[in-house]
Amino acid sequence: MHGQAIEKNNMLHLTVNGKRYALEQGSRSDQVAPEHTLAYTLRETLGLTGTKVSCDEGACGACTVIMDGKTILSCMTLTIECDGNSITTIEGLSDPTTKKLDPLQQAFIDHTAFQCGFCTPGMIMSAKALLRENPAPTEEEVKEALAGNFCRCISHYHVVKAVMAASVKSR
Amino acid sequence: MRPFTHYDAHAVEEALTLLKRYNGRAVLNAGGTDLLSALKGEYLLHYPEAIINIKTIPDLAYIREDGDMLRIGALARLSDVVNSPLLRKRYNALAEAAYSVATPQVRNMATLGGNLCQDIRCWYYRYPRHIGGPIGCLRKGNKACLAATGDNRYHAIMGGKGCFAVCPSDTAVALAALNGRIKIVGTRGERSVPVTDFFHPLGNELKRGEMVREIEVPRITGMVRQTFLKFTLRRPVDFAIVSVASVIAVPRGRCREARIALGAVGPAPVRATAAEEWLKGKPISEATAAEAATAALTGARPLRMNSYKVEIAKTLIKRALTS
Ligand SMILES: Cc1cc2nc3c(=O)[nH]c(=O)nc-3n(C[C@H](O)[C@H](O)[C@H](O)COP(=O)(O)OP(=O)(O)OC[C@H]3O[C@@H](n4cnc5c(N)ncnc54)[C@H](O)[C@@H]3O)c2cc1C
Ligand code: SF4
Ligand code: FES
Ligand code: FES
Repeated sequence: MHGQAIEKNNMLHLTVNGKRYALEQGSRSDQVAPEHTLAYTLRETLGLTGTKVSCDEGACGACTVIMDGKTILSCMTLTIECDGNSITTIEGLSDPTTKKLDPLQQAFIDHTAFQCGFCTPGMIMSAKALLRENPAPTEEEVKEALAGNFCRCISHYHVVKAVMAASVKSR
Repeated sequence: MRPFTHYDAHAVEEALTLLKRYNGRAVLNAGGTDLLSALKGEYLLHYPEAIINIKTIPDLAYIREDGDMLRIGALARLSDVVNSPLLRKRYNALAEAAYSVATPQVRNMATLGGNLCQDIRCWYYRYPRHIGGPIGCLRKGNKACLAATGDNRYHAIMGGKGCFAVCPSDTAVALAALNGRIKIVGTRGERSVPVTDFFHPLGNELKRGEMVREIEVPRITGMVRQTFLKFTLRRPVDFAIVSVASVIAVPRGRCREARIALGAVGPAPVRATAAEEWLKGKPISEATAAEAATAALTGARPLRMNSYKVEIAKTLIKRALTS
């Protein structure tokens, strides 16, 4: 690596699901290279494989995570540009001590809101960001918030029901 | 993605200095929603040596009225454009256009500057390396445009010259109807160009070493009606097949001023000047809207597979005027 490494004292700080990570920059498997996407770092470097990569070009939402309160696509984000940011992934939703699932996750199970499940982590992250901002959304608002999450198995109808159920519970 | 050197720019000047130092071998990264596709797909002939992150430049995401101008910093996110109370109230065509872009996640990441500077979506041009690309074509320095003789259903129906790719930016269309200008800075100073002149048939107005700093729109006062309509096959995600933005003032039933911009029909948003002139002083009705729509499309020269766009454009203009 060139200039950057020197300018930036070589460490990258991320908070993922409340846990702080200081990652070195470099090309070893425990390091972050400039060309690593956040999806890559989460899955391959930190072992958080709950975040999925499907299209890898910004179109499907499978890789959605919450960064500083907003949903973003981890496949279109360079990890090196996330220094100092706080990220929540699907692994961060259950209660860290009791391991109890988030009510939203439970609602997905109760409503069988998936088939193959590949889109589900992204769906749940989008829904989570919505419910944090708007705990009692209308069905239209739920659809709007999930407009960037694609499901090949057509689970959308069940997903909307699950999110509506979770929102009612949280009221 | 292949390796590159990465920089965080902390000021516009720093970004410009880096661009200059790399002399065409570095690219800016704003939201990254377009750039990362190019880096992953490797469909361009040259892979950049360096990426310059401009999100680290402070105070470049503002949206404010300042004297007789609305000013928006290049780093304003599309989601901020959508949610800005000022834009919703007085520059609604722009807020609607931003809202029509892609998906909530993309809008949370993408910037207004990046939306205007994004690369074209021609499927020959973007054919990725991992499935056999890149494909050379006129825009990449080869002789022929493949779309001219190939599948051109989403290509230009007016204004194409050599290359028939359309301007993919939705916000550009609204800004064209709002008489918006793009402020460009380089190490040699600053200039501003109308949005309609920013896009060229083979690229855009940016010269090597320049970047977009700001978008400015003359302040809207008084009663004007604004619309942005976009025709797509799916509502989220899809790029426009045709879009229309209009800004019209119709005091006491007669059109004082009409500004109509067509999107995804040519290399730049196209102002329908013939229709705008024709409408002046006339009442807005189904009949005058239909006449205006016909006038707007008289210059269209569709390719083999896209004459359907002409009818869609006319319909959108009629709807925009009479909505
Ligand atoms: C699935 C999907 C669907 C989409 N649908 C639509 C759509 O319907 N309508 C639409 O308009 N767009 C659409 N887009 C494109 C999207 O809007 C653009 O990718 C986005 O607006 C680009 O903004 P960005 O900040 O992410 O730019 P980046 O990806 O960071 O940059 C894009 C390009 O612009 C250059 N650049 C960025 N900022 C500047 C600046 N200030 N000065 C000079 N150059 C700059 C970069 O060097 C790069 O070449 C879609 C994209 C995806 C992935
Ligand atoms: S339309 Fe433009 S980008 Fe597409 S093949 Fe023709 S020259 Fe290339
Ligand atoms: S994997 Fe990121 S949007 Fe599809
Ligand atoms: S459940 Fe299979 S992709 Fe959504």
